[in-house]
Amino acid sequence: MIQLEHLSKEYNGLPAVSDLTIGIPEGEIFGLLGPNGAGKSTTILMLVGLIQPSSGRCLVDGIDVAKDPIAVKQRIGYMPEDVGFYPTLTAVENLAYFAKLYRMDREPAKKRIAELLALTGLDGVTKEVGGYSKGMRQRLGLAKALLNDPSIIILDEPTANLDPKGVADYRRIITAVAGEGKTVIVSSHILAEVSRISTSVGILSAGRLVAHGAWEDLAETAGQGTHATVTLHIETLDPMPEISRTGILSITYSRDRLKATVVAESDLRDSLAEILIAHGTRLRGLSRESRSLEDLFLSYYEAAA
Amino acid sequence: MKAQAGSGLLTIAEKEFFDHIRSKKFLLIFGIFLVIAIVGMIGGITDYNKNLDTYNGHRSVATSSAMPGFFADKPSILSVFGTVATYLVYLGGILGIAMGFDLITKEKESKSLKILLSHPVYRDEVINGKALGGIFALGCALGVVLIISLATLLIYGIIPDTNEMLLIAVFGAVSFLLIFSYFAIALFMSTVSQDSGSALIYTIIIFIALSVLVPTIAQDTVMDTVIGSQPALPQELLDQMQVSVNSTTTMGVFAVKASNAIGGDKDSAGSGAWQKFNQQMQAYWEKRQAVHDSLALFSPSMNYDTVVSGVTATSTGDVINSPGMSAVSFSVSGKQVTDTGDIVGKIAGNVVALLLFPAIFFGLAYVRFMRLDVR
Repeated sequence: MIQLEHLSKEYNGLPAVSDLTIGIPEGEIFGLLGPNGAGKSTTILMLVGLIQPSSGRCLVDGIDVAKDPIAVKQRIGYMPEDVGFYPTLTAVENLAYFAKLYRMDREPAKKRIAELLALTGLDGVTKEVGGYSKGMRQRLGLAKALLNDPSIIILDEPTANLDPKGVADYRRIITAVAGEGKTVIVSSHILAEVSRISTSVGILSAGRLVAHGAWEDLAETAGQGTHATVTLHIETLDPMPEISRTGILSITYSRDRLKATVVAESDLRDSLAEILIAHGTRLRGLSRESRSLEDLFLSYYEAAA
Repeated sequence: MKAQAGSGLLTIAEKEFFDHIRSKKFLLIFGIFLVIAIVGMIGGITDYNKNLDTYNGHRSVATSSAMPGFFADKPSILSVFGTVATYLVYLGGILGIAMGFDLITKEKESKSLKILLSHPVYRDEVINGKALGGIFALGCALGVVLIISLATLLIYGIIPDTNEMLLIAVFGAVSFLLIFSYFAIALFMSTVSQDSGSALIYTIIIFIALSVLVPTIAQDTVMDTVIGSQPALPQELLDQMQVSVNSTTTMGVFAVKASNAIGGDKDSAGSGAWQKFNQQMQAYWEKRQAVHDSLALFSPSMNYDTVVSGVTATSTGDVINSPGMSAVSFSVSGKQVTDTGDIVGKIAGNVVALLLFPAIFFGLAYVRFMRLDVR
């Protein structure tokens, strides 16, 4: 269980995170969302004990990070944004060094490192990390985050440099470790990525938490469940017929297109097409869109602003 | 997983040590260091052998002719290390800087600092571990140089006695302190700089200031400008005196003593003038020495020079006595015959300054690192 209580951080008098209070239950895959500069990385750095909060506190399994950072760090596996390693060492040497810092015994550490490198597709790579691509470093970062078999995994922009296969591997790995009951916190500004794996999210904007909860609840609150847009592309029809039906909230016309905002439960595509065809035109295309994730989050950001 | 107190410190120190001794820059500078030390040793040994021949020649004359009062010091093996020290004062500083200037900035640049600090280690273990790894590597480098230097002595058939071995150990220790001083300065600059390039430039500026600028200020010409020239002998004394000046120079202090022939008790006015002149001269040189010593405290290189001069320019106390003559010691350098304890006593202040320098800069680096915001 992770609890952030009235957490604030200022840099040179400017607030980076303001009065952030949030609880993340055990076993959750929690997405920390927000645009660049929203305070995601600062929040994570405070949670990992790398920077001190200006006020408030972070509790991990009831332990105050500021008071006992070592105990918290033993429980956490962390992968920073733009992850870096010792460039003159190989992946195995890097991980072996970190395993020593976790006080892991030599043989179990050796076995664990081999498993993790195989899991992240880096087994057999013997060159120094300085010669790695960004994507390979990201994979190694994931292996590092899992090295001590932590109960809490914190990943800051984990897919930023991964290719599609890397992203797919990452999803598979995170889903698997979450299945073992571990808590995963993923910070990202890539909404689609977070939406695919996380069970709940917190949305930060300008250092403030503007929304927090399960996906469905947030979508409902933001109106994603109430509106949809139906668009019909037709041959020129002049004049356009007056259309009035239950479920249609508003409608706009042009000579070759009709766009209707409808209630989400109504699928009015067939009936609208029938009306237009009855008026002597032909249908060229038809689509229905719910509000996109981007719309959803933009609505939160705009509300916060 | 097992928790062991202090294991983070040792793990970090071990990694840093191996990073140092495997790094190209260390190996390159150490290689040059070694070659210069060996060349310096050979040059020093050649000079030593020449001086020894001269000494033996003088000794045989003194002992066989029964001429009283010919005294000379047996050349010291330590003089050989004096030659090495002239190179070490610069190259050792460069080695210390090369090993320390990027210890923290390198971690920032490779983004590994965030990863490192996210592990269950205290921050002080990180900075202490880095310093400890560097100290071990420096100690190894210097140890190898000293062992090879001693081996070179043995190859040339020179075997130091216990007293000389102790002084060689003191030489090694202060050489280490000199290198560690610049290592600590470089480490501090590494904690305050954003990148390795800046850290290196700042450290080199400090190195030049401490090893070139401060000694230049302490030089005679600059000192004359700062505190003025020494008092001139009053004309009345020049006119009236029959001069017999017995002067000795000891550590920059110039003492003038008028003999009775100059007037002394016979001429109370002249005696008073001499006394006044002597007091002025003594005050001047004391002031000059105080300024010099104060400046020296701010320069590891000057402290090192002073200590090494004390250690390597010593005689062995082998005073030649002609039969029937009382033993009077006279050293060309103005130093009295000394043993290891006396030497250590004389250089203690400079050794303390050499200890304080790395302690202060390491302390500053420690405080800065502990407060570092890792973003």
